[in-house]
This record gives sequence, structure tokens and C-alpha cells, in this order.
Amino acid sequence: MDLTELSIVSIKTLLIYVAFIQVVPVMIWVERKGAALIQDRPGPNRVGPFGVFQPIADALKFLFKEDPVPKEVNRLLYNLGPFLILLPSSLIIAAIPVGDRVELFGRDILLQVADIDVALLFFLSISSLGVYGILFGGWASNNKYSLLGAMRSSSQVISYEIPIALSAANAVMFYGTFSLRQMVMQQEGVLLGFLPNWGIWFQPIGFLVLFVALFAETNRLPFDLPESEAELVGGYHTEYGSMKFAAFFMAEYINLATASALLVTLFFGGWHVPWLSDSWLLLKLGSQNVVALVQVAMFLAKISVLLCIFVWVRWTVPRFRFDQLMHLAWGNLIPLGLANIIVTAILLYFFEGR
Amino acid sequence: MREVFFMIFSIFTVLAALGVVVSRHAIFSAFSLVLAFFGLAILYLLWGTSFVSMLQILIYTGAIVVLFVFVVMLLDLKKEETLDSAKTGPLVMAGLSVWFFSLLILRALNRATYFKSTNVEAASDIKSISTLLFSKYLWGFEILSVFLLALIVSACVLARAEYMERKADQ
Repeated sequence: MDLTELSIVSIKTLLIYVAFIQVVPVMIWVERKGAALIQDRPGPNRVGPFGVFQPIADALKFLFKEDPVPKEVNRLLYNLGPFLILLPSSLIIAAIPVGDRVELFGRDILLQVADIDVALLFFLSISSLGVYGILFGGWASNNKYSLLGAMRSSSQVISYEIPIALSAANAVMFYGTFSLRQMVMQQEGVLLGFLPNWGIWFQPIGFLVLFVALFAETNRLPFDLPESEAELVGGYHTEYGSMKFAAFFMAEYINLATASALLVTLFFGGWHVPWLSDSWLLLKLGSQNVVALVQVAMFLAKISVLLCIFVWVRWTVPRFRFDQLMHLAWGNLIPLGLANIIVTAILLYFFEGR
Repeated sequence: MREVFFMIFSIFTVLAALGVVVSRHAIFSAFSLVLAFFGLAILYLLWGTSFVSMLQILIYTGAIVVLFVFVVMLLDLKKEETLDSAKTGPLVMAGLSVWFFSLLILRALNRATYFKSTNVEAASDIKSISTLLFSKYLWGFEILSVFLLALIVSACVLARAEYMERKADQ
């Protein structure tokens, strides 16, 4: 690996990571404004026009708050907690293809930090590590509410990983590859003359299972039992303050962004512009770099729509009870996912001859 | 380059594995176990078996150790009454470990082509793994699956019996 390549990779990584982390302030504003819209109140409207600078004010507030460490906590694990949850959620960003490729300095640069051959598995396995931040943070806080939150989180995340894995296995069978880039490549153009060629038309059940399970995996309402503030004060992050508390929230929003990116990649054509093929775009726009720009914008637009749906659901659906949550995973989603795999296998065998 | 990373993560994995045994507190043992499994996954990755590596993280680090941590947290162990209650048990375990470790060292010394093993990379992608599973290793695979199914059913029966008893009591 020579110096040019190294610098290209570094700049690319930096750009994609910074772009994904920018989701956090934007989502703070969207979430607060969205909640206000749904609950018929004005929401943040003091800092800047429509309160758009509210995230900056929030961040400053977090920075200047006292950072209390409760007595008798397990120092090492208590301080590690926020990092253990932030690290996996930022690592996942590496596997997401945000666009096809650009041609710069006579080189083809893929718009993806790392084109891993088992990208989908990488996504699942790394995201399953996020639970350790909650577990160790909640346990080390030496607080019964935090511990309860951590307990709930671990059982919830383990249960909901199975439907996610089943849905992913379904996608792997359908696309015949683990690479997220290859999956996006197969979702180009038009289907039956009027539909965009998206994965969702071929595996609606897989989408449904993954969509519901991702809500649980990201600890969002209606499955936010690990932090349900009405029963557990704040759940696993009750004892955290200042930037450590903010780290948990940053991780949640980055997780939301990566979850939306996974859904877009698997079921909504990734970076492809609906109905249009890449070669047609290249013919009309003339330059591969302009096409790449359009693709990245398209990818961002699709993620934004899904993020808005996440906010919409959060402020619309009431919280589940814990036994209902477990029953939904083991009684409904897992059988549905298994049946889906069998049906997909049979259909693939007869129609594609694989 | 690969050898350097291999060395770094070998040392990391061994240290983490030591941490599992040496830690006074069960929660740190569990934490070291997470690190050890993660290091092992990176070693698999350096051997070129990315699929096995990701499964290692997904199954062991992401699911099984979470259950360990779950149980350890519920146990609420105090620092004093941790793992050193028995005196002879650790000695026997240490003897066994030394024996296994020397066997491993002998095995490693016998293989001169340690870094250039080719048969590992042949079974790295999902297609060759599944072909091997359903042809060469079919019987082992099927027997294991029946075995696991039996375990699941027996666990269900045990849990169910307790549940039925409690229901009868009420």
C-alpha cells in the first residue's frame, strides 16, 4: 500500500465517518421538532430560526455540566461503558456502501470505507457488541435501576438478534452474496415496467421482520424497555452525567443511522436512483463523479425518510410490556423469519435453479 | 505486515485469556473473555477466514458471553467469595492446562509451514464451507444437529416441568 492509496483511504474514511456522525445533531433537532409536531406544541424555537441551533446548545450544555462519578462504582467498567457502546456503532459505518465510485487522480475510488466480502455478517456481529456498553455500564453504576435496564437490554438484544439474523440469511439467499455492495448492484433499474427494482418487492416478510427487530436492537420506542424512563428513571444510563451521558445518546442516533442504511441497502436499492439505471445516468450527466454525487444524495434522501419514520413511530406507538416484547420476538418474528427462509429457498430452487 | 499484526493479536488474545483465569472478580473474567474471543476472531481474519471470524464474533462474543455476563450479574458475587473457594480444583485444572499447552507447543513446532497453510484458505468462503459441510462432513454435521436438538428439547422439558409444578402449587 503506497502513500497515495493510504491518504485516499484516510480521507475517505474521515469523510464518511464525519458525515455519519453529523446525523447526531440533525437527529436531535428532528426528534425534538418531530415530537413537538406530533404532540401539537411548538418545540424548540429559541435558538436560531426554527430552533435549528438547539443541538449546539444541547452539546454545550453537556460539555459544561458536572461529570459526577457515584460512590462505590466499579471505576474501570463505569468509565468504559460509554466507549463500549460508541465504538461498535461507529465501527459498523465502515461496511456501508454510500455510493458507487468516483474517478479522481486517475484512480477508481469506491465510496465505501471497506468493501468487506462478508459485510452483512460484519454488520450483524459488530452491532451485537454494542450490548456490552449497556451491560457493563449498567452493572458498574451500582444502581438497581441501571442493573434492571442492563438485564432487560441483554435479554432483549439477544432475542431480537435471531430475527435479524434470519432476515439477513434470507437476504443472503436471495442475492447470493454477503457483500452489501454486490446486493446494491443487483437492485438497479426497473421491475415489471413500473416499479423500482428494489429488494422489498421480493422479500416483504424479510423487510417486515428486520424493520421491527431493528427497533428493538436500537432500543427505540416501542421497545425502549432498557431505559424506560417511567419505570427505571433512565435505565442503564441513570448514573451517567455530562459527555458520558451524551455518548449513550450519540450511540443511539448513530445506530439509528446505520440501521436505516442497512434497510436501504437490503431493501430499497441502496444508492441507486429509483427507476433509473447507472448507465443511463452516466449518459445524461456525462461524468462518473456527478453520477456519484447524485447517488450519495439519493442514499442520504432514502436514509432521511427512514429516520423520519423512526421518529414518527417513537412518538406514536406506546411502549410494550416485557412479556409482550419477548412474545413478539420468540412467538411471532422468529417463526415468521424461519417460514420465510423455507419459502424463499423453495421459490429460489424452482425459479432460479440455484 | 501480516506477521506483525498476527504477533500483536496473539499476545493480546493470550493476555486476555490469562485475564479470564487470573481475575479475582467474575465480571472482569467475563470482560476478559469478550476480549479473548474478539482477539481470536481477529486471528481468524488474519488467517484469511473472514466468514469464520465474523461467526466467532456473532455467536461467541455477541451471544454466548452476553449470557455469561447476564448470569454473573445476577449472581451478585462479592470480592471475597469469588473463584478461590476450592483448593484442589485449581491445581488439577492448572496441571491439565500445562499438559494441553505443551501438546499445542509440540504441534506448532512440528508444523514448519505455519503461516503458509493453504488448506485453511480453501474453506474460507461460504460456498466451499457449505459444500464441505454437506458432503465430506455430512454425518458429523447431522449428528451434531440432532445432538443440539436433543439438548434444546431437554432444556425445554426441564423448564416446563418446573413451570407446571409451580402452576399446580397455585
